Amino acid sequence: MTFIQKQRNILDVALCSLLRRKGKNLSLVVAYVFVIFLLSSVMFITDALKREASFVLKDTPEMVVQRLVAGRHELVPTAYAKVIGKIKGVQSVSARLWGYYYDATNGANYTLIVHQDLITSPGSIMVGRGVARHLSAGENGTIPFKACDGSYLFLEIRSVLPSESELVSADLVLMSELDFRRLFQMPEGYATDLVLRVRNVRELSTIAAKVVQLLPDTRPVSRDEILRTYDAVFSWRSGLVIVIFAGALCAFLILAWDKATGLSAEEKREIGLLKAVGWETSDVLLMKFWEGMAVSLVSFLTGIILAYLHIFFTSASLFEPALKGWSVLYPDFRLTPFIDGQHAATLFFLTVVPYTAATIVPSWRTATMDPDSVMRS
Amino acid sequence: MIEIKNIRKVFNAGKTNEFAAIDGVSLQVDSDRITVFKGPSGSGKTTLLSILGCMVRPTSGRIEVNGREITSLPEQFLAEIRRSGFGFIFQQYNLIRGMTALENVMIPSYPTGERRSSLKKRAVELLDLFNVSHKAGSRVEELSGGEAQRVTIARALMNNPRFVIADEPTAHLDTKLSREFMDIMLGLKTEGKTILIASHDPVVCDSIAVDRLVGMRDGRITTVDDRR
Amino acid sequence: MIFHPAIIALSAGSLLVSLMLLYSAFHGIRILRNWDMGSGSESQLQLERRTYLISTLVACALGFQLLSLFLFIHTVDCMSGLFVGAMCAAGSLKVNPFGYPAIVLRVINSILAGQWLMINHADNKAFDYPLIRKKYGMLLVIMPLIVAETAIQGAYFMGLKPEVITSCCGVLFSADSEGWASGMAALPPVPVAIAFYGFMAATISAGILFYTRGVGPYLFAGLNLCAATACVIALICLISPYFYESPTHHCPFCILQGEYRYVGYAFYLTLLAGAAAGLGVGTLTPFQGVESLKRIIPELQRTLALVSILSYSGFVVVAVSGILFSNLRLTGY
Ligand SMILES: Nc1ncnc2c1ncn2[C@@H]1O[C@H](COP(=O)(O)OP(=O)(O)O)[C@@H](O)[C@H]1O
Ligand SMILES: [Mg+2]
Repeated sequence: MTFIQKQRNILDVALCSLLRRKGKNLSLVVAYVFVIFLLSSVMFITDALKREASFVLKDTPEMVVQRLVAGRHELVPTAYAKVIGKIKGVQSVSARLWGYYYDATNGANYTLIVHQDLITSPGSIMVGRGVARHLSAGENGTIPFKACDGSYLFLEIRSVLPSESELVSADLVLMSELDFRRLFQMPEGYATDLVLRVRNVRELSTIAAKVVQLLPDTRPVSRDEILRTYDAVFSWRSGLVIVIFAGALCAFLILAWDKATGLSAEEKREIGLLKAVGWETSDVLLMKFWEGMAVSLVSFLTGIILAYLHIFFTSASLFEPALKGWSVLYPDFRLTPFIDGQHAATLFFLTVVPYTAATIVPSWRTATMDPDSVMRS
Repeated sequence: MIEIKNIRKVFNAGKTNEFAAIDGVSLQVDSDRITVFKGPSGSGKTTLLSILGCMVRPTSGRIEVNGREITSLPEQFLAEIRRSGFGFIFQQYNLIRGMTALENVMIPSYPTGERRSSLKKRAVELLDLFNVSHKAGSRVEELSGGEAQRVTIARALMNNPRFVIADEPTAHLDTKLSREFMDIMLGLKTEGKTILIASHDPVVCDSIAVDRLVGMRDGRITTVDDRR
Repeated sequence: MIFHPAIIALSAGSLLVSLMLLYSAFHGIRILRNWDMGSGSESQLQLERRTYLISTLVACALGFQLLSLFLFIHTVDCMSGLFVGAMCAAGSLKVNPFGYPAIVLRVINSILAGQWLMINHADNKAFDYPLIRKKYGMLLVIMPLIVAETAIQGAYFMGLKPEVITSCCGVLFSADSEGWASGMAALPPVPVAIAFYGFMAATISAGILFYTRGVGPYLFAGLNLCAATACVIALICLISPYFYESPTHHCPFCILQGEYRYVGYAFYLTLLAGAAAGLGVGTLTPFQGVESLKRIIPELQRTLALVSILSYSGFVVVAVSGILFSNLRLTGY
């Protein structure tokens, strides 16, 4: 009980001392908030993108089979599907047709996918919201596509895709097989890749081995592997950005050290007085600890909240171009808000821990001041 | 009772500007007395008070406070002795600006972890004793010189110490306030406090409240004048 | 090396803790060589003031150490998705030979640093620094361990190779990387249960005996170590299946996941606190005889015993309630 009361008393003095030197501490807090804001924004956005990707991939088939020729992607003969379909454990095989289309007039990349269930008649398409917005075309509008022989194909928008996760569906164009083959002059009997559904996920590796054994020019890719790659790539990106921001962090630490070392005459007098009237060195250290805690807590929360607003409510307006890549089709996507303890802990270790460490020695110097100094001012 | 034996305090030991601020002082400070140290500036009064008040350790010699040898105690224990046994009144009042008078009075008791309400009660009583309770809620910048002095005295008494140490307490006070100060000290003495004052102000030195006047020069005691 | 933010944070944190300990050890050596309690000289005063710096540094380092222990486990757990066959921390740690040494060293160092702080606390309360030499000697033992931990953890992180699809042909699935401590998991539940409840009961009774009468500090500390071991074994072989509701799932790490309401953190926190505090009772016993510590140490030991008893009781309560409310019934038990 006395322990808690003592902490409260000392915390009181610490807060009072912080508030008395608003100017000095404010600049520190601003720098602190800025660093935390930067780092947590990076972590928020990469994590959100990662989750977005895995969210989309959840519905993809367990395994995709591609064909490689000279180490590059090639069209797969649809006949392969029959061979694979006979492997034990494979539930279904289907051929997919998809690809990218560069719209030179608008400078945008679309993802074209053949979807036989949704698009039943040739000549009509469904588009993602990004595409619709970009072309300012709504339902029943037509979009000209330039085929690879130079002729134009006019396709009518039947509807705009409802978007659960806009980041992924924004650039989609769903079309019929006939239109797709005409657009790219893709021969009959070939597909972009094959997708498998299997009965038991545990058998994926055996099935993959069988596929390679039967069709040596193919490459099976499992969904888990795609997820893993996404995970690694996104983590890697955010790690890289954090390392880049290490400079900002160092600058902040130097500032913190400097602020903690450069005591004003008045502050020195106050500490001297506290020691003279019977505060121990450890009490002053405790006070300094609480001061640091208060500064850290305020900055930490402010920084995280600002970053949260920045990423999830203003759509990462500050570094959208840097992190997301190539398409111009994402003007106002919304990421699904998400935060967890690991974020907080990681940020804590990247900011609060170095801050605390940087202020230990200056605080100690302050706390071990001679108590009689106050008699000589 | 404080007893010091053959105390030396050397500054910048081992360097060319080595200087003995206190040079072989032995003294016994009796309880329930007012002792005044008188001497020119630089004679070592402040240094001697800070040694007597357990703020600094002497370079050599022995100190006993109430029969307990404290010369080689770690700082932490000196702080504890200071907190519970000594009240300090400084020349510059050394009140912490931005805090109220009441908080300033409570500060010496914060590390004890005593309940806030009982601390407050005691502080208000002390301010009341010196007729400044109406200023309890004001910030110390707003106090007049006399009020600040009395808040300082209240702070010195917060932990109910046996000893009160005052260094040049009347330097910033006019004659009337200085007399008032000595009256307060006399009151404290009758309550059983032992009071040590360093001063060369005649109002203090010639006050009838003083029991013993110790003259100092160049870090040594030159005269001891027992008036009782 | 995986460039994950948490890995960067952990590495930076460990590096910082190592630096703090190196700095402390450096000044510890100076204190060991120049300490002279009787002297009132300026240099002795400076040394005494340094002790505050070292206490603060080690206390902070321990705080960081504890926090990062849990961040470490959590991160390793999260990373399991990156490695083929890994389902939780158990798999991720096995990715290279440094994983398990890193975590074991982390736990040992946390406990050792805790012991140091207890000794330091007692020493600071005495007026003549009776343990100063022992204390700084011990610091010189802890320091290399912490540095080793940082190095091993660094080696572990450096050795993590994420699987990238383009680099392989997708056949890289290994069935599973299970089999860790399978021997432990395969222990028969009934004897383990008896050992677990037996040691717990014995330790808590010895603790209460010590708390009330002050007798048998070594007995308590020794039982405490057995109880901690029993806890780990019981967690793997007996308790965790109830939380997973699957008799074959024995992992000591999966219980840290959100799926199981992070109950693992409750287990490991109580276990760590109980073991460190209980061990502290034994660590402090040899110094009971020191004149200036005669009153301080028994009091501190009583507090530690209480913390230990409460922590272990917390462990048992969480375990038993998990077993009672689980849908799983292990046959023959
Ligand atoms: N920290 C210090 N370092 C060096 N010299 C000091 C220090 N403190 C005091 N002195 C010297 O010690 C002498 C005595 O000072 P002091 O005790 O303040 O005298 P008084 O209070 O009687 O004016 C002075 O000459 C002063 O310069
Ligand atoms: Mg003076």
